Amino acid sequence: MNAQVSLMEGGSVPQELHDLLNSADGAAFEQALDVLVRQREQRMFRALGLLARDLHDAVRRLGGDLAQEGVPGSVADARQHLHDVLEMSSQAAHRSLDFAERMRPQADAVAAKASTLIESTMESDGARALAVQAQSFATECREGLADFVVAQSWQDLSGQRIKKVVNFIGSVENSLLELVSLTGALATGEAAAAPVKVTSQDEADRLLSEFGF
Amino acid sequence: MKILVVDDFSTMRRIVRNLLVELGFTNTLIQEADDGNNALTMLRANPFDLVVTDWNMPNMTGIDLLRAIRAEPSLKGMPVLMVTAENNRDQIIAAAQAGVNGYIVKPFTAVTLQEKLTKIFERLAASGAAA
Repeated sequence: MNAQVSLMEGGSVPQELHDLLNSADGAAFEQALDVLVRQREQRMFRALGLLARDLHDAVRRLGGDLAQEGVPGSVADARQHLHDVLEMSSQAAHRSLDFAERMRPQADAVAAKASTLIESTMESDGARALAVQAQSFATECREGLADFVVAQSWQDLSGQRIKKVVNFIGSVENSLLELVSLTGALATGEAAAAPVKVTSQDEADRLLSEFGF
Repeated sequence: MKILVVDDFSTMRRIVRNLLVELGFTNTLIQEADDGNNALTMLRANPFDLVVTDWNMPNMTGIDLLRAIRAEPSLKGMPVLMVTAENNRDQIIAAAQAGVNGYIVKPFTAVTLQEKLTKIFERLAASGAAA
């Protein structure tokens, strides 16, 4: 009913159908309605066909770009770069922790020696003053080193984000490859259009000499 | 005393180890595992007094490790402190429901670690005295 109402509102009801609507011939009306629906379906299928072709062309171009730009290789490179960053940051954080672990006993030793000296001498001479200062410095160092150790957790926090990006890159790569292989774009030969790369200076020179360089 | 530190990042394991030493756990054997699976194997093989675990780890996550510990009769009473970058409300609730003893959000300080550890050991002592 709604369809009929909107058809009438749209004013697109053919005169023939309009006449049939007002007639008592139910069978003829239904037949006319079928024709109208079929016409509309055909138009929709044509539009879907065009859409499918556009999508196919777009994916073919993507497949060609992937092959030409060597994108799958770059994705692997990107993943490797991130992995390297993870590894380098881990090494840097461990070196910092090495430093803190090395300095801590030294700070303790200075504090202990200063404490012994302070207790053993009653005179408030220069040596005692220096010992007091050394003791307070050692205590501050100890606290600073503890903060320094905690501060290295940036490596874990940033590393977790890098790992998430690596996983995301992997899923994007898989989706792209699936899309491309789904449409068979890579099988059309466009992959062969990838640029031929020279691998050495000799090859480059030979190639250039052919052009008179 | 024996403490197991579980984290897939070696840096974080070392930081927690350093902080524990800093907090006076000097006569403590601190061991490390890089995921929940390895942690579970170590826990089954040897008795530990405390587990400090991360959440996000490959193979077995911290929450799954916690659930596995609570499901195993010989391990279920083990105190578990979660130290994680996960500050999502639902995840904190999930950890609480799974029976976590303490939850620390990274980045954290030595003071926070000390507070949570003190609370855990106080509660344990209280429940031990009551039993």
